[in-house]
Amino acid sequence: MTDAPSVLSSTTGPIRTVDENFCGLRVGTDLVPVEHVAASVARFGHRYVGRIYTEHEVACCQGSPSVVAAGLAARFAAKEAMVKVLRPVGHQPDWRSIEVRRDPAGWCSLALSGEAARMADEQGIREVAVSLTHEGAMAAAVVVALCAEGDTHADADADADAGHEER
Amino acid sequence: MEEEIRQILEEHGRLPVPMADLDNNADLYEAGMTSHASVNVMLALEDGFDFEFPESMLRKSTFESVSAIEAALTSLVGTPVE
Repeated sequence: MTDAPSVLSSTTGPIRTVDENFCGLRVGTDLVPVEHVAASVARFGHRYVGRIYTEHEVACCQGSPSVVAAGLAARFAAKEAMVKVLRPVGHQPDWRSIEVRRDPAGWCSLALSGEAARMADEQGIREVAVSLTHEGAMAAAVVVALCAEGDTHADADADADAGHEER
Repeated sequence: MEEEIRQILEEHGRLPVPMADLDNNADLYEAGMTSHASVNVMLALEDGFDFEFPESMLRKSTFESVSAIEAALTSLVGTPVE
């Protein structure tokens, strides 16, 4: 039996650790107050929207100011959740290089470009999935990523980036 | 410059503590500033000092403290640190 922390037990085999089973899986999440986004839109207008969101994202968030703010807040949460998955050291990818794409049927996916795509490629991230939600005052998103075997930078980068806000 | 930076952080940083309680080297993210708030700080700094941050400076460390922001602004707008 290993001395490593174990959370999975089996009656038919040795106890295995999470790392041994799911080393290629990453998750990121973020929570954004809708009011904060509404205030940013009101204060900075197109400068705020244009620096953070793509044309597609803006086109998907139409309606009353509160509806727009809720949609944008959920998308910001998705971008930040993806940043947590990317675990950048130092330079942050352009917010617009992480785009929430909405399928006509309603579900969403992420499209990475530019620096975000490069970071994902360097870290062996092969697939990402996103889920967005907003209810009342809060919006949230979860991003799950699958990494290829032999991920090279992730662990060292994560160690170097430890600290600051919870991730 | 420092006072203007502090005023912008007070107004846009959404910190749970008054800026007066934080020294110039205090880590603003550890103090509670979120990524979204840091975007607002960035835009307010651009308004206040009439410039635009180049993409190369859009890193977390640029906005992590009053001192870091002041150093970034000094390098961009050329105002000497007092």
